[in-house]
Amino acid sequence: MSRLLHRPGSVDEALALLAERPEARLLAGGATLVAMRNAGLVDASAYVALDGIAELRGIEQLPDGGLRIGAMTRHRETATCGLLRDSLEVVRRAASMIANPVVRNMGTMGGSVANADPGADYPAALVCVDVELELAGTEGRRRVPAAAFVQDWYETALEPGEILTAIFLPPPRTGRSTYRKLARVSGDYAIASCAMALTGGQGDEEIAVAIGGCGPGPLRDVGAEAALRGRLDDPGALAALGEALVALADPIDDVRASADYRLRVIPRLVRATLDDLRSERRAA
Amino acid sequence: MSDHVETFEIAVNGQRRRAAVEADATLLTWLRDGLQATGTKRGCNQGVCGSCTVMIDGWPQRACLSLAAACEGREVRTVEGYGDDAVMRTLQRRFAEGGAVQCGFCTSGMLISARRLLADSPRPDEAEVRAALSGNLCRCTGYKKIVDAVLLAAEELAP
Amino acid sequence: MNLEGTFDVRAPRSLVWEKLTDPALMAGCIPGCEEIEQLSATSYRAVVQVKVGPIKARFNLVTEVTREEPPDAVYSATRGEEGTRASVVSADSVVRLAETNPGETSVSYSSEVSVTGRLGKFGLGVMRKKAESLSLEFVENFKKRVEPESAGA
Repeated sequence: MSRLLHRPGSVDEALALLAERPEARLLAGGATLVAMRNAGLVDASAYVALDGIAELRGIEQLPDGGLRIGAMTRHRETATCGLLRDSLEVVRRAASMIANPVVRNMGTMGGSVANADPGADYPAALVCVDVELELAGTEGRRRVPAAAFVQDWYETALEPGEILTAIFLPPPRTGRSTYRKLARVSGDYAIASCAMALTGGQGDEEIAVAIGGCGPGPLRDVGAEAALRGRLDDPGALAALGEALVALADPIDDVRASADYRLRVIPRLVRATLDDLRSERRAA
Repeated sequence: MSDHVETFEIAVNGQRRRAAVEADATLLTWLRDGLQATGTKRGCNQGVCGSCTVMIDGWPQRACLSLAAACEGREVRTVEGYGDDAVMRTLQRRFAEGGAVQCGFCTSGMLISARRLLADSPRPDEAEVRAALSGNLCRCTGYKKIVDAVLLAAEELAP
Repeated sequence: MNLEGTFDVRAPRSLVWEKLTDPALMAGCIPGCEEIEQLSATSYRAVVQVKVGPIKARFNLVTEVTREEPPDAVYSATRGEEGTRASVVSADSVVRLAETNPGETSVSYSSEVSVTGRLGKFGLGVMRKKAESLSLEFVENFKKRVEPESAGA
């Protein structure tokens, strides 16, 4: 047994370990943490591996029709889960576009969401579908809505000593949803991305849109979405939604794109993603 | 923790093996430096290039992103560990004879990913092959002969 | 990267100048500052911890005041490292003070910062955002300390 790596069998055991050793690092899939360790950016004196905790695994349907995704669910499972349909399909598609098949065998939703990389794929999809994140601490468990989870660059609502245990999704609503990712090459982080869901009857369609990669967390404007209800094919109305999202954006300049480029691309991404959904509906 | 040495016992290629490495060493370091099993390569050490891809509990994973300490209790299989497995033997022959190996650095990772693909999908089409290998980079071949080798191996195994 | 900004302090310029050159006060205002020591009439040593996500970096910095033009401007050069030279940082800065109204000073700063080494790999884009938010925090801390003293005077 390693002196460096602890593998608790329960959430309570993991919380006790963190309380005892606050400097310990939580290890989910390792796709980010071990890469940082290899780059010399993280030098942990202890790891608490979460892969021995059964309650953190798997996707299940709840009695009310909603879904519970355990924090240790690998991207591969999420990407192939048939329960993620209609308005929730966006989450499945986002998972399928993370990195590549090998990394998808390792990375987890909890690990990715807790790390809050601005260029990651889940945040926009999870905000689009209004998930709640369950955080466990020694005092008990609490839920945080997706839109309030990311607080600053790489900073989340997780308090020291807390563990993200599950992601709760509302029941799927009839409709279509998709995730469009603008990236330099397949498998790269997004320059910018768009998670979009269309629900409701013809003539009264509702839209939910979240933009990723253009700020510390995803961008969403529910007021602007409500103004678009039933008017999705009005280019002026759609442009207003694009502008509202641009106004919320706080993008960085990085090797993938300039902040200015990200701002320009947001309205185009919104239009292109809506076009994708329209084409899918026609083809169906 | 890198000044602290630990011995890890991990099941590799059907056998329990022991080797001492730094306590926080990756599986890749344990395999190459601990066991001298150098069929698995260290390319980027960041999980991007795919040259370190090995099978862990039946799934292709990055040895460079796996802590050796976290692999105790798991079944690891490297490119050296397939013995007379007909699927792997066919893939290897098709790669070697079909010009799909130039420098060879990406090859072991490609074979692991391809091995899993053929277990999931015995007669994949080209798009499936490319998707399955999308986590393995090659700087020499331009991928065409690698993809062809996998398709020909599949055809040979499941005519 | 170039970091610059301007802020207003409700305090006379002479007091602002005095406080900007007071190591003990500055230590309390710089976010993450664990130690500050005056090495000579014109140089200071500081240890500043910065956290970005899971990455914690402790910077060992030496700042040399290279030129003073009281009461208008201070020029300084900062050199330092973190992680036993895993990253190397250097910054050349100028801070200018202007009396806007009696008892009010406008402070503008401009700093050319370079970070090389392991933190450079993390992505300079996020570091800029972090530096900007630390600057804002510094400004708030500074004003909280200086303005009451000026109001009481």
